Amino acid sequence: MSRPTRSSSSGDIPFRNPGWAGNTGEFDLSEAEVRGTEYVGRIPADGGHPGASATRPYMLEEKEPSAPLFEGPFRERFEKILTRYPEKQGALLPALGLAQELRGHISPETMAEVAEMLGLSEAYVRGVTSFYTMYNKRPVGRFLIQVCTNISCNLCGGDEVLEAFLEHTGTELGETSQDGLFTVMEVECLAACGFPTAVQINSKYFENVSVDDVPALLDHLRSEVG
Amino acid sequence: MAYPYTHEKEVRVLSRGWGDPATRTLEGWKALEGYDGLAKALEMGREKVIEVVKASGLRGRGGAGFPTGVKWSFMPKEKKGVHYLCCNADESEPGTFKDRELMRWTPHQVVEGCLIAAYAIQADHVYIYCRGEFFEANQVLARAVEEAYAAGLAGKDILGSGASIEVTVHQGAGAYICGEETALMNSLEGKRGLPRIKPPFPAAVGAFEQPTTVNNVETLCAIPHIVRNGGEWYRQWGSEKSPGTKLFCVSGHVRRPGNYELPLGFPMNELIEDVCGGIPNGRKLKAVIPGGASVPIMDAEDCDGCSLDYEGVVERGSMLGCASVIVMDDSTNLVKQVRRMVDFFAHESCGQCTPCREGTTWLAQILARIEMGKGTEEDLDTLLDLGAQMTGTTICVLSDSAAVPVASSIEKFKDDYLSLIRRGEPVGAD
Repeated sequence: MSRPTRSSSSGDIPFRNPGWAGNTGEFDLSEAEVRGTEYVGRIPADGGHPGASATRPYMLEEKEPSAPLFEGPFRERFEKILTRYPEKQGALLPALGLAQELRGHISPETMAEVAEMLGLSEAYVRGVTSFYTMYNKRPVGRFLIQVCTNISCNLCGGDEVLEAFLEHTGTELGETSQDGLFTVMEVECLAACGFPTAVQINSKYFENVSVDDVPALLDHLRSEVG
Repeated sequence: MAYPYTHEKEVRVLSRGWGDPATRTLEGWKALEGYDGLAKALEMGREKVIEVVKASGLRGRGGAGFPTGVKWSFMPKEKKGVHYLCCNADESEPGTFKDRELMRWTPHQVVEGCLIAAYAIQADHVYIYCRGEFFEANQVLARAVEEAYAAGLAGKDILGSGASIEVTVHQGAGAYICGEETALMNSLEGKRGLPRIKPPFPAAVGAFEQPTTVNNVETLCAIPHIVRNGGEWYRQWGSEKSPGTKLFCVSGHVRRPGNYELPLGFPMNELIEDVCGGIPNGRKLKAVIPGGASVPIMDAEDCDGCSLDYEGVVERGSMLGCASVIVMDDSTNLVKQVRRMVDFFAHESCGQCTPCREGTTWLAQILARIEMGKGTEEDLDTLLDLGAQMTGTTICVLSDSAAVPVASSIEKFKDDYLSLIRRGEPVGAD
């Protein structure tokens, strides 16, 4: 749907947000520097305690679209997940998450493999996968950039931030840039409404992102790849 | 690092440890009397815990405001099978951003609240259904759960009491509707997140067909404090019917948006003008959504003198919801924002009820037409008629919620619509 855009007043917001980047421009702050701990994304290789095993990062940095489901530590995590639900089917969402973490997206083949593992039909798993927005149904770039344009961000210029990401990555909404680095999408409220515009890039939130921050943020992401 | 958005008028009970990374660890949480509430609850016995929570008057913070102690007492007293507690951490109502902060700053507060509640309702297993996008909160919670297990605070024979409670962090996968309690349970079972017809209510037939209670993160976070200090203590804040403190999530056109923990009944003028520093750029207040995208929009007159508690906001024609206050200044065109909210509901409709599946999309299409300057005055009647047909005709209230901002904006801000229709130009062309 085409949308008229207008710069609504972004306001003279004086503070800086303690999240990553915020409007500080310091995009390479580590989690420890921001919050004093190194919790995020650092889950033990074996998934830790079974009660924690159903959580995951979004995707591995180097996705392995043809990696087997599941081997080594991933197998260990999958087995732990199975112990936490009274029915095998309860493990479906975490198992799909685990598959996506490894492969980067959920292909029809992945759905069939997960279905087989949990004793479900392929059609059933496809039905569930298609219901949830976080399962990528096709491959995405190295960085999945999701920009919130819902009301609170929108009031402060979310539409313009989305436009800026599209412009500076040279890609269309939902498509991946030619260098394979960036996929830009619009996302529904990320629950960071006080820190507009909220942008999620892979597992990380970037908050208070303004149009002017976009080029530097993208440069930072490019530099991570080297 | 101090949490930067604090104000002297705040009463920081739930948000006390925010901004201090140490609070995220078991040791740090214990330094704030953490897990004393759990120990006390195990000594008191479960009936007493429910009594204290009833006496506190705590009301569910997920939006509906139902008394928590009463909800707990719906669970079967005679246990026949397994009981479950689900912590609803699928925060996704536009404008709401309190639960993410509670989880990432004070994960042990969440875990302790879950354990006490589970003990009170005889739950064997707690599922913390945490929103999928919250990778950080999920990991922080996961580490807290590990620490709790290692310290004998979760699992078998908690603190030597004989009570055994398992805790699992379940990461969602992206669906607003899974914040509706029955959809949440379906999702937990590995299904599409479709709301269920009630009755049967979750306390009778819930997750995995067993008696289940679903409580919001903020509700559960209040529990340790109430158990530790007593029901009367909690009533020192707020009003008779709406006691306690509440996290207000303020966003939109204010100088200092953020989360502020204030007593219920706090005046709206003071929240916007004083706590949040007022409206920037010399603009004036135009509209406020006091409780997230699902509640009626208020105009400046409704806001003036409004008391922010469950009853006070209803008196002004809206609802407190989860106290997600979205502030809009006079540069805002309501048609654009209402269209954006309705787009959201259309995207998030699970699709099982026709009035919602079709209605949300039709509303969005008509609103987009008006926004582009191609609407007619009859479109407004169509919108209202559609909205009326979408209200009370579906399994859950998502359909009703989509109709709410449309009807309230046409009632209070008709000029925004009419000027676009009459000028025949899109929003922003002026």
